[in-house]
Amino acid sequence: MVGTPVLFIAIPLLAAFLIPLIGMVWKESVRIIPGLVLAYLLVLAINLLSYVTVNGPIVEVIAGWAPPIGINLVFNAFSGFLVTIMVFMGLLVWLYSYRFKSNVEYEAARKYFLLLMMLITGSVGIVLTGDIFNMFVFIEITSISGYALTAFYTGRDSAEASFKYLMMGSIASVMLLLAIMIIYSQLGTLNMADVASKMHLMDPKLKAVSFILFVIALGIEAEVFPLNGWAPDAYAEAPGPVGAAFSGIVVKAGVYALIRYTYTIFDLSGAFNLLIIIGLITLVVAEVAAIRQEKLKRMLAYSSIGQMGLVLVSFGIGTKEGVFAALFIMLNHAIIKPLLFFSGSYLVYHSKKKMISDVDGIGKLAPLTSILFTLGAFAIVGLPPFAGFWSKLSFLMAAADSNMLLVIGLILSVSVVELVYYMRVVNRIFFFKRTTSLLTRRPTFNAYVVMIILGLMILVIGFYPDSVSMYLHNAANSLFDKSQYIHSVLTATIQ
Amino acid sequence: MKKILVLLLLAVVGFYLAGTFFDIGFGNSHFVKNDAIKPVKDIYLQQTVQELKVSNAVTSIVVNFRGFDTLGEVTVLFLSVTALGSILYKKRHHVGERSVLFSASSIVTSGSKLLFPAIVLLGAYVFIHGHLSPGGGFQGGVIIATGFLLMLLAYENYSVSHNGLSIVESLAGITFVGVGLLGFMNGGTFLQNFLPTGELNNLFSGGIIPIIYIAVGFKVAAELTGVIYTVLNEKGEQNG
Amino acid sequence: MDSAYFQYLNYAIYGTAVLVMLTGLYAALVKKSLLKIVIGLSIVDSGLNLLIVTLGYLKGGTAPIFSSGYNGTQTMVDPIPQALVLTAIVIGFGVTAVALSLVIRLWRHHHTLYIDEIKNLKW
Repeated sequence: MVGTPVLFIAIPLLAAFLIPLIGMVWKESVRIIPGLVLAYLLVLAINLLSYVTVNGPIVEVIAGWAPPIGINLVFNAFSGFLVTIMVFMGLLVWLYSYRFKSNVEYEAARKYFLLLMMLITGSVGIVLTGDIFNMFVFIEITSISGYALTAFYTGRDSAEASFKYLMMGSIASVMLLLAIMIIYSQLGTLNMADVASKMHLMDPKLKAVSFILFVIALGIEAEVFPLNGWAPDAYAEAPGPVGAAFSGIVVKAGVYALIRYTYTIFDLSGAFNLLIIIGLITLVVAEVAAIRQEKLKRMLAYSSIGQMGLVLVSFGIGTKEGVFAALFIMLNHAIIKPLLFFSGSYLVYHSKKKMISDVDGIGKLAPLTSILFTLGAFAIVGLPPFAGFWSKLSFLMAAADSNMLLVIGLILSVSVVELVYYMRVVNRIFFFKRTTSLLTRRPTFNAYVVMIILGLMILVIGFYPDSVSMYLHNAANSLFDKSQYIHSVLTATIQ
Repeated sequence: MKKILVLLLLAVVGFYLAGTFFDIGFGNSHFVKNDAIKPVKDIYLQQTVQELKVSNAVTSIVVNFRGFDTLGEVTVLFLSVTALGSILYKKRHHVGERSVLFSASSIVTSGSKLLFPAIVLLGAYVFIHGHLSPGGGFQGGVIIATGFLLMLLAYENYSVSHNGLSIVESLAGITFVGVGLLGFMNGGTFLQNFLPTGELNNLFSGGIIPIIYIAVGFKVAAELTGVIYTVLNEKGEQNG
Repeated sequence: MDSAYFQYLNYAIYGTAVLVMLTGLYAALVKKSLLKIVIGLSIVDSGLNLLIVTLGYLKGGTAPIFSSGYNGTQTMVDPIPQALVLTAIVIGFGVTAVALSLVIRLWRHHHTLYIDEIKNLKW
């Protein structure tokens, strides 16, 4: 083993505290250090993931107090898989914004990269932690960075979007704390595994109350309807890479938290049906809203919300195949949606209002960007040779195995809606006459690199879906094996 | 109309919330109902005295047992200062003088000058004795920041060096993570105590706990002062 | 202590904390001024903190601080909610600071704090 999970948190924090100091002598360091840190974390994540695949989960004890006394971090096939995706996407977002932000001043750049790094660290922390209160702390780290990054551009609307996000976020944190305290008052512990093993002793009424509070609070983070009012505004007003980071990283953490609570901690039988219902409502409402959008980024944001609804439905099926499909959708979404955000933000770069109509006929002026956007659009809709196809197929098979015909019908009809609004944009890009006099902007070299990497990944997963399925299967198994999770945490010792 | 709806909603929420907490009950040790539940607080209280030799159990929890939370918490503060700077960011030549409605009288100014060292001393006392008596890094840091607030309010041209604040902030943060990593490198785990714990109720006891709490004290003081200073220097727009 | 008296205390203390939270929530939902909304949110936080601290109380308990000659862990109140509330207060402070800075930004652009005049904040 080359490292331990705690480095995922300690190293970025150390770097965050060091950056202001080093920045005083060497200004360029504020851009470079976060990238180095993220690259290191990626190496660490890949190493640990391959270790975990062979040797079973790593449970890291913190402060020398074995669970349930102290806080612990759990790096198993499931959390490790998500962490690897998040760190990888974080690195790409950094690479993309490295030149993108080269025109802003030193002070602003320092804050941007610091907040971006902490946004990723917070999300990674949410996934790794094995303690319910510690998860709250990481959620707050993520949210505060999110508020600041949303309002990064000093334009008129970004502060409003951020304020909306902040209001929802603080209501979420109040609910989260209430739920945590109800559980604490009943079970006298905050460790997830310990809570899970004692959950049957809790008064059913209090259990239900705290579960509802958790779902509402985490639903705000995971953009579940009707708690996602903040998301489209935040996505549309935040800088392009931040929108990609929200949809590729932060939402994944929110969904993870929701799933961890339903699958591992609570043993409520109705919880899975609840997931299906809120997932379906979110999906339908978001896709219907997406088709009515006139701004490109808002459309992408609603599409992102819809995908998260699909993920929740898939988790709600409650079988191993369902979890496999959900993880596959999450992986694909984490690759495709940032590609759409990156290429989309270059397509409407010089436009003030970022309308969809501004992309008319841009296909001839910026062919590569347009093709990459189209690739992403095809993939997310689920057209055959691309990555999205396999995840949708595995979802449909999982649903068919559980005889959820109504769900399948609904998902298929919603997919048609999805197809319509993405094809509308693609149609405009290639077959409409250019009506505006807006110039196109050539993406920077880094942006090209990032977009091409993402495009290649879509193709690779599309043609060789087996290349990732082993990790997905391991992750699904590890989420399903609740007793093994509890056992491995509660018997953890200081390594 | 909206008010009535909101009131109704709040009444429902309040009814269920209060009902939930009335069920939980006040002032009983909540776990007597079931013997299978062994609350961790008993272990915390025992180990605080036996292992860590710290008098204040809250401190031992905040800094050691749940020290990782505190690291996150310190990060939240650090981030909110950064966020404040980023949200209120202006190009340098726009930063103006503080808007002052009327200047403080000489009684206030000389009184503040007299009180300032005492306040800082009290703050330092609170965070140095965090492991012995009520208080700690956060409380002491807040007290010191109130001292700076007093000075900023009394003297309209009192200024704090931004660079100085950020150096203090960074060094304190690095101390926290560094002490944590030292525990890690000594063959233990992150944030594990690696110093001798000394004797209960001595100033030099508790191993790394006082060190971390002093770092937290400096950090909180610097960050809160930074927040106050940034907001105070936000120039009021004339055409309001 | 008399148990009937303690029952009243139960209602009074939890009732107060919940009432404080509801007051803040009312302000956050109904008031038109951004500043009042922020104040409302921080009142909710205060009520919540009050609630959390009271949860840890033990009948006839003492402060969880050991001194020479006094080591009775059985009669000490629960220290964990106190530690958690410390974290919650600090986080609440951070969020309030960010919220206020956003209010300042909105004031810069719109020269008003009334949400009716700021288009995107109407919902």
